[in-house]
Amino acid sequence: MATHADNSTHEHYHPPGLQHQFEDMKQQEESVSIGMWMFLVQEIMFFGGLFTVYLVFRSRYPMAFAAGSNHLDVVMGFVNTLVLIVSSLTMALTVYFAQKGNRNMQVLLIILTMLFGATFLGVKYIEYSDKYNHGLVPVTGWNRHAKAPAGHEESETAKPCWEVEHGHEEEYINPKGEFQWHDCSLAKKAETEGFLTPAEKIGYYNPATGQIDGNKFRDKVRIYFWIYFAMTGLHALHMIVGLILMTWLLIKAWQGTFSAEYYMPVEMSGLYWHFVDIVWIFLFPLLYLLGRHFIAHGG
Amino acid sequence: MADNHSEEQHHDEQHIGIPGYLGVFAILVVGTVVTYIVALRDLDSVLFHGANTLVALLIAFFKMSCVMLFFMHVRWSPRLVWLSAVGSFFWLAIMFAFTMQDYFTRGSGVFGG
Repeated sequence: MATHADNSTHEHYHPPGLQHQFEDMKQQEESVSIGMWMFLVQEIMFFGGLFTVYLVFRSRYPMAFAAGSNHLDVVMGFVNTLVLIVSSLTMALTVYFAQKGNRNMQVLLIILTMLFGATFLGVKYIEYSDKYNHGLVPVTGWNRHAKAPAGHEESETAKPCWEVEHGHEEEYINPKGEFQWHDCSLAKKAETEGFLTPAEKIGYYNPATGQIDGNKFRDKVRIYFWIYFAMTGLHALHMIVGLILMTWLLIKAWQGTFSAEYYMPVEMSGLYWHFVDIVWIFLFPLLYLLGRHFIAHGG
Repeated sequence: MADNHSEEQHHDEQHIGIPGYLGVFAILVVGTVVTYIVALRDLDSVLFHGANTLVALLIAFFKMSCVMLFFMHVRWSPRLVWLSAVGSFFWLAIMFAFTMQDYFTRGSGVFGG
């Protein structure tokens, strides 16, 4: 920190938190918020890469993506969306009370925001465990402890893609820990009703038999789960970073750092938190909801 | 926006106040519920192919706009912030468009298997 020898010759009042390189609080606030927005812009491009991957593969294999979406627990996704929206509200109110210099409300609302953020991660953990137990981790070798192959609960009505030897479910073993998927009913439905994409007409079929190939369909569902884990994983990582940020903010707010004149750290942490919320606003319909009508509507 | 909190001296009121925040929150919750309900209806066969996707994305965009304008205070932010926010989506659109024009114009065999 430079000495304030220069400033001491000036008469004007220095608000708390004003860094010496800025003329006044307004200039500092604008610089700070534009810096934060530049960071958020690159975050948008960061997630944008994954959204592009999603766009490419979903436009090619919509049925495999619908199959994956239908396997996700929509109730958990829905609850998590609400949890994040509530946390965004408490975050916005934290900024509001920081601007008012109300220390107690800031502390209370930051703790609430952290609680909702932690709830989100807890629900995410339950979901990830479920995928792990069903052998849906798209990495060969990581599914050795899968308790049951995916699609067996909902496959009472659905036909398995190839001849599954019944009676083997109890002593189900997966020595190589491969990705598990046995339900091709959505590919069959799209075939019957004639809305397979050109890529699907090649990607799902065994060229030798001209039939839908369960292994090839499984590989496309596996792409979906790879994207699911990459996108929600990166999002969860952002939540963890957000919680660390909130811990720091909580300490600062506890110390009574923020006032009507100096609240930008709260505002900027809020921008980050809301950004993470916005990412989820898109992830929820894209990963959990799209393709659900194929099954919900008398599939 | 118009508020009569006399304790606020330093800044103009650059937020919508607690009732406003609660209102935006209510809109977001309603948006989430509507997205969920609509996702279970088969709009593809009622309207046109891809209608489900379009509706889901429109609602998501609407919710995002609410969060950005009011929770993130873009509504009261300098022009440069507006430019950053809108510009980032413009670049995102370029990325999507140029990627898809590549994939849509490939022969299905190149990336089909």
